[in-house]
Amino acid sequence: MRIIFQLAIAILSLIAIMSVLRRKKEHLLGPLGALFWIIFWVALISIVSLPTTLLDRFSQFIGIGRGVDLVMYVSIAILFFVVFKLYIRIESMRRDMTEIARKKTIDSISERK
Amino acid sequence: MFIAIVPAYNESKRIKSVVKSLIPQVDKVVVIDDASIDDTAVHAEAAGAIVLTHPINLGQGAALETGQVYARMLNADIVLHFDGDGQFDVRDIVQAKKIIESGVDVVLGSRFLGVSSQIPWFKRCIILPIARLVNWLFTGIKLTDAHNGFRMLGRRGLEHITITHNRMSHATEIISLIKKNNLTYREFPVSVTYHEYGQKVSGGFTIIKDLIIGKIIK
Repeated sequence: MRIIFQLAIAILSLIAIMSVLRRKKEHLLGPLGALFWIIFWVALISIVSLPTTLLDRFSQFIGIGRGVDLVMYVSIAILFFVVFKLYIRIESMRRDMTEIARKKTIDSISERK
Repeated sequence: MFIAIVPAYNESKRIKSVVKSLIPQVDKVVVIDDASIDDTAVHAEAAGAIVLTHPINLGQGAALETGQVYARMLNADIVLHFDGDGQFDVRDIVQAKKIIESGVDVVLGSRFLGVSSQIPWFKRCIILPIARLVNWLFTGIKLTDAHNGFRMLGRRGLEHITITHNRMSHATEIISLIKKNNLTYREFPVSVTYHEYGQKVSGGFTIIKDLIIGKIIK
């Protein structure tokens, strides 16, 4: 059963990497962003491909009991980081939008004169 | 030049009387219609205000800043922030203006300095004490009131206070900017008549969230 899980994750990750590369080509993603996401998906493939004993041994080495717990903790940390980045992006877009709307409002007064 | 800035969103019922009551008190009344879906702009203009209309709804903080941008363009000496829902009394303007003319940079209205206001008890006993605490934690300035929309800014205040918080957290941001820019301020008793309840508890959480994001993102 484990091989099915590993294959599914690997296919999903490869599709995600292809999507990242496509977005990079379309200039929708900067070089740093593309690098981050490629490293993320490659790391995911590597983690699920590792023998469970190896992951468990590494987890025990850094003080976390099971390998699966380590994956969960890291995933939550990454998700928090992504949400934080999204908040910043939304806030930055909101400020740009406000500036545009304000300029349009002020310009309309000048035009009326 | 003395300009009244009136942010308004769907205030067609009261904006006319607010503008008419303000006209004898100031040189210009500027209503910022925050993309209302009713006839706020039409009524405000008919009453004699200059109306600036946002193409989309941005929030009260953004509306005040749009008014301030316009006031700076007109080289205003004093600006008054005055809510468009008719909760404030124009009779408070004369005394507040005297304080600004004595050299104070910002006058902040307070509902808790002697003048009796009909404040719903939940707001008075629960929401406002928490709001005052949040204000103090985020700004370091202790005030008797929090989020009172009656303010007056002199030239230095107008120059140094640029509001970036679009929604209701702008009230705390203004206090932060007073401290950051070493502006002088004074609280001033104003009377408030509530026609509607105003902000709800959920609005308070949004303010705290906006303040935290505002602290992270400069």
